[in-house]
Amino acid sequence: MKFKLFRWKAVGPLLLLFILLGVAVWIFAEPVARETTEEASTELLGTQVDLGKLDLLPRRASVELQALQIADPFVLTRNLLEADAIRLKLNPAALAEKKIVIENLSLSGMRFGTSRTTPARAPSGKGFTPQVYRAVQQWTDQFKVPLLSLTPVDTIRQLVLNPDQLTTVKQAQRVLARTDSTRKALEQTFQQLDIRPTVDSARALVQRLSATDPKALGIEGTRQAVQSVQQTLRDITAARRRVDSLERNARAAVAFLGQGVEMVNQATQQDVAFAKSLLKLPTFSAPEIGTALFGKVSIDRFKQALYWAELAQKYMPPGLLPRPRPGPQRLRAAGSTIEFPKAAEFPQFLLQQGSLDFSIGGTSPVRGAYTATVQGLTSAPALYGRPAVISVGRRAKGSAVAAVDIGAVINHLTSNTHDSVNARLRGIKLPSFDLPGLPFRVTPGIGSAELVFSMRGAALSGRWSVRANKVAWTADTAGRKANDIERLVWRVIGGLNDLSVMAQLGGTVSSPQLSIASNLDQAIARRLKAVVGEEVARAERMVRAKVDSLVAEKVQPVKRQVAEVQTKAMQRIAGERQRLDQVEAELNAQLKRLTGALAPGLELPKIKL
Amino acid sequence: MLGLLKLIQSIIKTLHSAGTPGQVAAGMALGSALGLTPLMNLHNLVIFSLLVLLNVSFGGGMLGWMLFVPIGFLLDPVFDAVGLRLLTAPGLRPLWTDLTNTPVVPYSNFDNTVVLGSFVGWLVLAVPIFFAARYGVAKYRATVGERVRQSRFYKAITASQVYNLYKMFRP
Repeated sequence: MKFKLFRWKAVGPLLLLFILLGVAVWIFAEPVARETTEEASTELLGTQVDLGKLDLLPRRASVELQALQIADPFVLTRNLLEADAIRLKLNPAALAEKKIVIENLSLSGMRFGTSRTTPARAPSGKGFTPQVYRAVQQWTDQFKVPLLSLTPVDTIRQLVLNPDQLTTVKQAQRVLARTDSTRKALEQTFQQLDIRPTVDSARALVQRLSATDPKALGIEGTRQAVQSVQQTLRDITAARRRVDSLERNARAAVAFLGQGVEMVNQATQQDVAFAKSLLKLPTFSAPEIGTALFGKVSIDRFKQALYWAELAQKYMPPGLLPRPRPGPQRLRAAGSTIEFPKAAEFPQFLLQQGSLDFSIGGTSPVRGAYTATVQGLTSAPALYGRPAVISVGRRAKGSAVAAVDIGAVINHLTSNTHDSVNARLRGIKLPSFDLPGLPFRVTPGIGSAELVFSMRGAALSGRWSVRANKVAWTADTAGRKANDIERLVWRVIGGLNDLSVMAQLGGTVSSPQLSIASNLDQAIARRLKAVVGEEVARAERMVRAKVDSLVAEKVQPVKRQVAEVQTKAMQRIAGERQRLDQVEAELNAQLKRLTGALAPGLELPKIKL
Repeated sequence: MLGLLKLIQSIIKTLHSAGTPGQVAAGMALGSALGLTPLMNLHNLVIFSLLVLLNVSFGGGMLGWMLFVPIGFLLDPVFDAVGLRLLTAPGLRPLWTDLTNTPVVPYSNFDNTVVLGSFVGWLVLAVPIFFAARYGVAKYRATVGERVRQSRFYKAITASQVYNLYKMFRP
């Protein structure tokens, strides 16, 4: 029987199956693409992305998105961006290589900061973006922004301190243990040193020689006696070297104990600060007041910039090395998908040119026509060869509102990455915010704000400033009556029409530094100092006395023992050295006597030992 | 339960089909690709087309698919490791880079560690699967096959409507 390789009768059913598959794709492609886009965008940006509708326009190689909402990851009830319609013109050649190259992007009906009808889901899970979100939240915790305390000073009489809360006691116990071990180690070293045999032997030689007449020894006897003296002198020199070495070790050990004592003193300072914090004493330090008043609101601004910069670092890596990313979610294991960028080819994602013309109407102070451009936003900056540039501008001639200028540059061409954003808003209505820890709210009104943020590698620099000259203050003392100090501060700030805040960020991502200055700081500090300064100083003295009384019985013995170890060690070293010096001098005298008898009046050359 | 019944039905039908043991075994070797590798990928469309077009046992293919699905899940960590090793091998990087930048090829998802690892795993296992299946089918037919054919259970299965549809694709 002839074997047939192909089953020709199955061609028809197979074609039918392909047609059915094609019809299924035709029907379900758009809803599936919409859901996939939502899921992928949410995962990429780390914040909920909703899409009302997605239309595929294959003939024009375009995609049209409608009712796009991107939630603010830090304020879940607000949208960062809302757009009625977005049209993406894709590059078909790139699409054939499973790459998304957007030749042109146009948006219409854009709105910013709109309220959401349902709050967005908080970033969660183990993906990259939730990790960045959590890392940025932890980053903000590093700043330890103090609350401005306006508690009446008369509460200081309630200070109750538990010695277990004080780090000085623990530190003193550590130093005490260290002192004991140092004392034992030094004792052991002294025993090992043991210069007594050398000294005893030298003394015996001195006694023997002093009882001998050099003239009766003869030349041979004198030579042997001189050799014995020289050998003993060498032994003494070796013993002295051992003493010197021991002294160096002892001094190092004692210095180490001294550091411990210094740490105890520092711990006492910390305990005093801790005790003061329990009293919630008002501070007169203008920088501290500035940080307390505007720290949180400033950090919030920098936090958002850092979040997007961290995402850019991840999604726009420099170089052309293969890059792994998590594979698609499916029943089977996702694995990793590796990208292989190649010079002179399309990157996996590229937004060549995005032009956004939008307007904000109504009576809003930010109404007017806006122009935004996005260029070179890509997953492989090294392939594109130019930094990504985003700019948003608004000009409204004759309007009360002056201008909005936002510019961002993402330069990941080399490993020396640099991300920066510069946003300048003039003549716009600034959002009101609460003063942390105080029952006051500030409404800056129309003013100007500026945010400059730069991340070069891990180095951060930033500036956030707000300036307004028609500030309104609101006191919220519902449910309780303001105390004297709060009323005092209210009188200070209530009389101010101007607000000028300048926050500066520096350092690195792992060790950021924030400094804040405002026109309120000095005013509040001066007034507080004038009114409650003397009382606070008295309270501080009382706190110090209280801490000192609690730690004294633990700290004083430690300091005493450290001093005792130091003194004893040095005395013992001096004693040993003195014994060696003494016996050496006696030996030299005997040597001189011996050599003088051998050749009276003859000066022998000095013996080098 | 239904899935188990279908599996038994498929096994019985395939083992007693008119196809030679070689045709059944070839079908199983091809069908095992559908089970061992993630299903929704371009290469599986090709495998399915081959199962339909080539003169191999389609039932064997379906049987191979069903039998190797759990094995595929179990071996996923191994496939992931194999795929990662292949995709990160410096010597193969030019090949993967060229394939990534070739039209249509990236839609095969070869750049995914599990897809590539499982596909290579299937290529390696296909020949042993073929020979083992051919031996097993021949041995079955020579020993208990005829007794099963005479059983009521077999007659009940072959009488079903599904069987008639199946006969259309039998070798």
